[in-house]
Amino acid sequence: MTEPMRTLVSPCGELEENLVLFHYGDLDGAERGALQGHLHSCTACAGYLKELDTLLPLTLKADQPPETFWTDYNRELRQKLDRAAEKKSWLQSLGEFFWPRWMPALATAGVVALALTLTIGRGIWSTNDSQDDAAIMELLPVAENLEFFKTMDVLDNLDLLESMGSQSNAA
Amino acid sequence: MTPLITVDAILVRRPCGDLAGDAQLTTDRSPSVNPGDEELVASARQGNRRAFEELVERHKRRAYHIAFDFTRDREEAKDLSQEAFLKAFTNLKNFDGRSSFYTWFYRILVNLCLDYKRRQKRGPASAFDETIENQMEPSHEPVKPRSPDQQVWARQISHRVGEALEALPARQRTAFVLKNHQGLSIKEIAALMDTAEGTVKVHLHRAVTTLRERLAEFA
Repeated sequence: MTEPMRTLVSPCGELEENLVLFHYGDLDGAERGALQGHLHSCTACAGYLKELDTLLPLTLKADQPPETFWTDYNRELRQKLDRAAEKKSWLQSLGEFFWPRWMPALATAGVVALALTLTIGRGIWSTNDSQDDAAIMELLPVAENLEFFKTMDVLDNLDLLESMGSQSNAA
Repeated sequence: MTPLITVDAILVRRPCGDLAGDAQLTTDRSPSVNPGDEELVASARQGNRRAFEELVERHKRRAYHIAFDFTRDREEAKDLSQEAFLKAFTNLKNFDGRSSFYTWFYRILVNLCLDYKRRQKRGPASAFDETIENQMEPSHEPVKPRSPDQQVWARQISHRVGEALEALPARQRTAFVLKNHQGLSIKEIAALMDTAEGTVKVHLHRAVTTLRERLAEFA
């Protein structure tokens, strides 16, 4: 069964936020004084505050677990902290193992590896360069023949000029 | 190298127990023998487990209750709050002390809670579970209602409140829970949520407006 809906009080709109803060005692000095003065004369705002006083405590729930709950809580948390501490110390010792003694050696090894990679890489690139050179060498004879083809083009043009000349003479 | 400070040494050195920045913390121990959080953190950072356990002891109940406000489930709240302590423990070396331990730790917790809500949203839609509600006692009712009618009414309110809270967007819910349930100041909430105070006020106002509309029948 549904309860009939109760009509809510409408406070002065611009003061609503301050009324909420006033309810919780979070409104400071001047604003608080002004609102208190307003409440004497405004029944709507006073009614709104009364509603908050009635409704908001309904939302409070106090869960009071028994003492055994807290005993278990402490025991469980202590176990979890132990595990976390173990994990932490394991990670710390791992870090200590690597950092002071091995880190400089690892860093040196890294630099050497990088240098070697670059050197070998250059070798690979140079091999690529020689392949490119071979391809160019193959193309060179063709490039030399280009001169011949260019000459052929000139001859074609001469033929064309001659034919144009003979045509104009005939005309 | 800084000498290792033990909790016992701190207790002897600080008879007046100045809980700077943590005045709102409630502890079972007398404030006259309490070292500050920051001193315990310094000691824990040097490997003193007892100092960290003291921090846990100090913050576990509030941490659990914040997580419970998000999850409404004891086991989930326990897991989330414990996870926050674990994260704090493993990241203690990264804690730079710019904010208080209190802010730093609860920020971890709130982020875990928000992640939990995100995961929950992505997963199968969770209907509000009445069995969870039955674990809890509404704090505004110190004495259980006796008549069956009252019990039904209380359960109905509880159910509707649960639904209304579930429906709030994550950041509105966070601001509301930290203010309404935990009583933190706007400044503290802004620090925990890593946002501006104005933004917190807007979130809080919107959350209250939505809840008020949804719970109108109980006004």
